[in-house]
Amino acid sequence: MRARLLAGAVAGTLALAGLAATAGPASAADDAQLSVFHGVPGLTVDVYVNGKLTLDDFKPGKMAGPLDLSAGTYKVAITAADAKDDSKPAIGPVDLKLAAGKNYTAVAHLGTDGKPTATLFTNDTSTTKAGQGRITVRHVANAPAVDVLAGKDAVISGLENPDEKVLDLPAGTVSASVVAAGTTKPALLGPADVKVTEGTNTILYAWGDATTDPSTLALATQMITGLHGNPSGVQAGELGLAADHPTPVWPFALGALALLGVATMAVVRRRVTQED
Amino acid sequence: MGRRRVAPAVIAGLLAGLLVGLVAACAPSRAVEPDAPSSPPHAASPRPSPDVTSAAPAPRVPVYDPTAPAQTPSAAPVRLVVPSQHIDMRVVPVGVADDGSMGLSENAFEAGWYEYGPAPGDPAGNAVLAAHVDSVQSGIGPFARLRGVSVGARVEVTDDASDVHRYRVVSVHKIPKDGAPTSSWFDRDGAPRLVLVTCGGEWNAKTRHYADNVVVTAEPTGG
Repeated sequence: MRARLLAGAVAGTLALAGLAATAGPASAADDAQLSVFHGVPGLTVDVYVNGKLTLDDFKPGKMAGPLDLSAGTYKVAITAADAKDDSKPAIGPVDLKLAAGKNYTAVAHLGTDGKPTATLFTNDTSTTKAGQGRITVRHVANAPAVDVLAGKDAVISGLENPDEKVLDLPAGTVSASVVAAGTTKPALLGPADVKVTEGTNTILYAWGDATTDPSTLALATQMITGLHGNPSGVQAGELGLAADHPTPVWPFALGALALLGVATMAVVRRRVTQED
Repeated sequence: MGRRRVAPAVIAGLLAGLLVGLVAACAPSRAVEPDAPSSPPHAASPRPSPDVTSAAPAPRVPVYDPTAPAQTPSAAPVRLVVPSQHIDMRVVPVGVADDGSMGLSENAFEAGWYEYGPAPGDPAGNAVLAAHVDSVQSGIGPFARLRGVSVGARVEVTDDASDVHRYRVVSVHKIPKDGAPTSSWFDRDGAPRLVLVTCGGEWNAKTRHYADNVVVTAEPTGG
């Protein structure tokens, strides 16, 4: 089976050869999920996993995946697109340790020294509260620390390459921009409308190179859906008037009847008095 | 003659007083229901991906441009009709209340559609419509008659594209809120259903909540 899969990969398909060969008949819950983001400007690459060509001619700004993989450690090497094998990687080789049930994104990107590197991020797939969405911001650009502004307020401060920040927010749309840390303008990225989608982790990558002229800074978006929580219940009554035993009504009704009786008697008595 | 007019005026005044008294007595507290069931965490189900275990032919790695997709929202429901119970209500989108329960219109004559879940006509999951059985703003509403719906009854939902979605009632339940299967009401993945929810059962004057939910489930008739 390995041979056949390998042949497929060599034939130039974007086949998951090396990875599939290691995957046993495990259930999905035992698997890890992996996406790969290419954030190195101007460099088309091949991606080797455990020595086997897995992504051929992978272009900057593209995302691959998600893939279901057996838990374990995978050796990933990234080479120039014309490399014969992974013996002279441009990035790595790096060991990616993937745990069962987790969701990862491996990112090839520039460090602040301008050199290509790779970072493995674990995506937060915990349940979001009903009515909320999650925003994850990852700094994978050759750029200094940044702040992220929502409107004019900094919601993320001092985010550095290759760090991330995770926020759970009410579903809706936020006008966001990325600025150098401690400033409010000029915007390095944006302002752009960022949709906070309920039950979804929207992962934003600030990638590229801010030191070039013109800057190649750009934004990429990965979405992980299906994380929604549910409302805790339905409280659909305020008065008790439709209850099986609507007790609150009777005291008032009786009281009102009594008042009505008193008033009627008063009227009648007055009428009687006047008619005398 | 003048005196004759006095008595009705007095009675009208008393009746008005009675209504004010009722409303004041039944004004809702914002206390959080102490025994409100909390839904169990929903299993994360990221989008499906190729099955790598069945390896022939070898799966391809999907490669894509990571940009936020243009989203085409489902047509929102605007009208709910249950002919057998003379229910004909406007439907408005609602979200989540401060206490984490489903948000509702304060008008008991308006049903709320849980806008984060499926809409009527979506290929999977439950479209949840709920309305107050009674409310401060409007008194007893049409959903007070929901408990009288029969299995097999027709239900129609019209959306804002004027499409009519037809359903047939498959179950009517009165369920204690404590331990109610809320996560199954709000299910987004199963066969498409319409779920109508209101309150019923005993009134708890302390928590200002009813003890039960009345839940009507209907399935599409394809008509």
